[in-house]
Amino acid sequence: MTPNAASASFGPSRRSFLASSAVAAAAVAGGMPLLAACGGSDSGSRDGTTSGKDAKKILPAYVASNVVTPDIPSKNGSAVGFTSKLDLAGLKTSVPEKLGKGGKVTVMSPFWGSPPKADNAYYKAMNDLIGVDVVWQNQDGNTYDQKLGAVLASSDVPDVVVVPGWNMTGKIPSAIIGKFADLGPYLSGDAVKDYPNLAAIPTDAWQRSIFGGKLRGLPMPSSYVPNNVPFYRQDIFEKEGYEVPTSCDEFLALAKEATNAKAKRWACLDMKWTAFYAFGVLSGEEKSLGWHEADGKLVNRIETDEYLEALEWTRKLFAAGVVHPDAELGKSAAQDAGPKFAAGEFIIYTQDMSQWWSRTAEQATQNPDFKIWGMDLFGHDGGDPTLWAKNPATIFAFVNKKASESVIRDVLAVANVTAAPYGTKEYMMTNYGVEGTHYTVKDGVPAKTDQGNIDVMNAYVMIASPAATIAHPDFPEVAKGQVEWQQRMGAFTKKSSFYGMQIVEPSRYTNLSNDFEQLEDDFVRGRKKMSDVQQAVSEWRSKGGDKLRDWYKKLLDENGSAAS
Amino acid sequence: MSHSTVPRSRAEADTTEKTPVASGGATGPRKKRPPTGKLSFGLRFRRDRVLLLMTLPAVLLVLLFNYVPILGNVVAFQEYDPYISDNGIVSILNSPWVGLENFQRIFEDSAFWNAVQNTLVLFFLQLVLYFPIPILLALLINSVVRPRVRAISQAILYLPHFFSWVLVIAVFQQLFGGAGILSQLLRENGYDGLNIMTNPDTFAFLITAQSVWKDAGWGIIVFLAALASVNHDLYEAAAMDGAGRWRRMWHVTLPALRPVIALLLVLRVGDALTVGFEQILLQRDYVGPGAAEVLDTFVWWNGVRNQDFSYAAAAGLVKGVISLGLVLAANKVAHLMGEQGVYKK
Repeated sequence: MTPNAASASFGPSRRSFLASSAVAAAAVAGGMPLLAACGGSDSGSRDGTTSGKDAKKILPAYVASNVVTPDIPSKNGSAVGFTSKLDLAGLKTSVPEKLGKGGKVTVMSPFWGSPPKADNAYYKAMNDLIGVDVVWQNQDGNTYDQKLGAVLASSDVPDVVVVPGWNMTGKIPSAIIGKFADLGPYLSGDAVKDYPNLAAIPTDAWQRSIFGGKLRGLPMPSSYVPNNVPFYRQDIFEKEGYEVPTSCDEFLALAKEATNAKAKRWACLDMKWTAFYAFGVLSGEEKSLGWHEADGKLVNRIETDEYLEALEWTRKLFAAGVVHPDAELGKSAAQDAGPKFAAGEFIIYTQDMSQWWSRTAEQATQNPDFKIWGMDLFGHDGGDPTLWAKNPATIFAFVNKKASESVIRDVLAVANVTAAPYGTKEYMMTNYGVEGTHYTVKDGVPAKTDQGNIDVMNAYVMIASPAATIAHPDFPEVAKGQVEWQQRMGAFTKKSSFYGMQIVEPSRYTNLSNDFEQLEDDFVRGRKKMSDVQQAVSEWRSKGGDKLRDWYKKLLDENGSAAS
Repeated sequence: MSHSTVPRSRAEADTTEKTPVASGGATGPRKKRPPTGKLSFGLRFRRDRVLLLMTLPAVLLVLLFNYVPILGNVVAFQEYDPYISDNGIVSILNSPWVGLENFQRIFEDSAFWNAVQNTLVLFFLQLVLYFPIPILLALLINSVVRPRVRAISQAILYLPHFFSWVLVIAVFQQLFGGAGILSQLLRENGYDGLNIMTNPDTFAFLITAQSVWKDAGWGIIVFLAALASVNHDLYEAAAMDGAGRWRRMWHVTLPALRPVIALLLVLRVGDALTVGFEQILLQRDYVGPGAAEVLDTFVWWNGVRNQDFSYAAAAGLVKGVISLGLVLAANKVAHLMGEQGVYKK
């Protein structure tokens, strides 16, 4: 999901999102919650954004890298896709000599699942390859936001801290600006060419890594096409003769037909995010994306009719009893949707695109009939949907301001390996581990071993990633489905006024819209009335929303619109 | 009969009274109570110096972990930003003062008052539905004569206390959730399913039921101890006077428990605004904050989750002040009822 995205699960979704061996695909995934976005700052100078000439001065140069030609080139903002067999014997080397100087680097990062032992074979092999002794402080990704604020407030910040965009609530952006180093001297302009794999990271991802006027983040690039896919059980659809719905009415009709509570079968989970897409609601994944200038007036998503209509329709689904009772529990119920989806307790749910692969892989051996597929997003009236782009990078690694130059160089050495593109030895090691130990090769297709599934999770892929890549050597048809879905949906995807900018809102407004996600969830579950939502919107306006509008308007005048 | 019980409870009161006197540095119960007030401070200090020295480690710990952190409450009067420096104290020194602005915000915040209301409703509900249950259970257990049966039933009653809330809630969810055993059973028999776990209207009862299931058994320990100290002669004497089971309970057992009940009641009232943080936080999304936000989750949400530390500190401070008021009031009531309460002037 992106976390907030599919209502139901915060956790597992992201876990599988990162667990996916082709985490590169995760790049595509990305994802951030409603509350993500920019936060506060204590001084006027910290808020705002950096673009245009100012940004050009600090952005790294772009040097494309063509190791393996993708089978499906990027189109409409999609990731590049690899669907043909990988020549494991002919992997290229993208880092000919170790750049690490043997220093020690501590990294705090969110982790979804059970972290492996600190001295496992994967970490050792990676550290050998890089030439840096990376020590991982893996923290539970589901509660990372609760930990992050406290760690950053302490005097004991690790050398590197990974911060997903969805955790940048409240004062976290202010902390990022206050506590993390400016990487500009090492990466801006041609300096990045010392690290060829970092130079191949697309510029818009670097643009997003500028916090408080300085290049501070090492990004995980992703596609800007919406990443929340309405998945359905294609095998059950075929068996029952269901048609994939192409409008909201069709969806509701199908949902009613498919639900049979007595037999423990419901149609779907919370479809709020699909509804947002269907009604063309401005993106809710980051605060700045929720603003858009139309007809000379800057509006926020929560002020639009589409927003209310989308919620109203989602509420209808709950009221009709077609939503699995687990979804009633809301977001915190972070239960893994996988087992119940596999058991057919519900047959449609919205989640991050990465689950397309991870669910397939999970069920492949024990449940051969199981087939998950993504349905195309539909316009609510059956026409083409209007989709709003998400940001092209959502997870960042930051280096402690107090780190010495040698530590920073070592961190960049790590990043240069983890950002290696598909088709290189470094990519293979980062995403699959050591052959024989973490994966075996059958008919030219790598398959992770049990140890691989334990050791090769999260960690190194969090530091920096190559340009958005989708490659599943084990399930090429899934990779194809994912890229093609992105390309079809990409054709309907528009960019809003503040697309791609990393914006830090003034601190007094950072918590203004914090409660809306909760309110949405309450409303669709019938616990709040439409009048409550409308009242919250008018309160939002009077408590600072209108002032925030003026602030964004000024920003827009200064930086120009990114809308397309 | 009732006459015979009075000395009993006084004796109880005496023992509890001795403890503070002894640790406070008096000479102990053997001598006549010394005219403490009349001795000069220096004399008392010299006389009690060994005892004072012995309390020192505990005093230091209390100071360090209970009193020093209280100083951190100054952030409630600031716009505190912990990220402007690497040192919390430096951050406090450099954060701008905003006076009572945070408190003003709190009093205007409907979410805060919603949390206060939910907290109080839960407190009263738990007071009425939860508090008496351990007493009843203790009386029941106490009436079991065979030690084996008694031990087994005690073990069963204590056990849920050791389950974590995550587990307890998962169990409740499996049983009473929308797709849980109960709902499916109903559906199989042609009724509608019940969504007990996600119904905001009955949430307070659900929370109370969970608390009872988990902790009521554990709560009987204190009462059992008090029951064990009841002099059996009293029961015999009462029986000789022709008192039946109920009369014996009414006139012997319950009066013996009265000081303990009063003490626990006062303590409970002091804790009134703390109604189960973990339990409620875990289920906050099940019913939404409208029904589930209590003061503690409110503080957590604003402080830890939104990094609005100053606002959360202010809310915590308000909670602390109300709690203090409540405990003083409850203590007063206990005194009026002739009980010891938590302290006595």
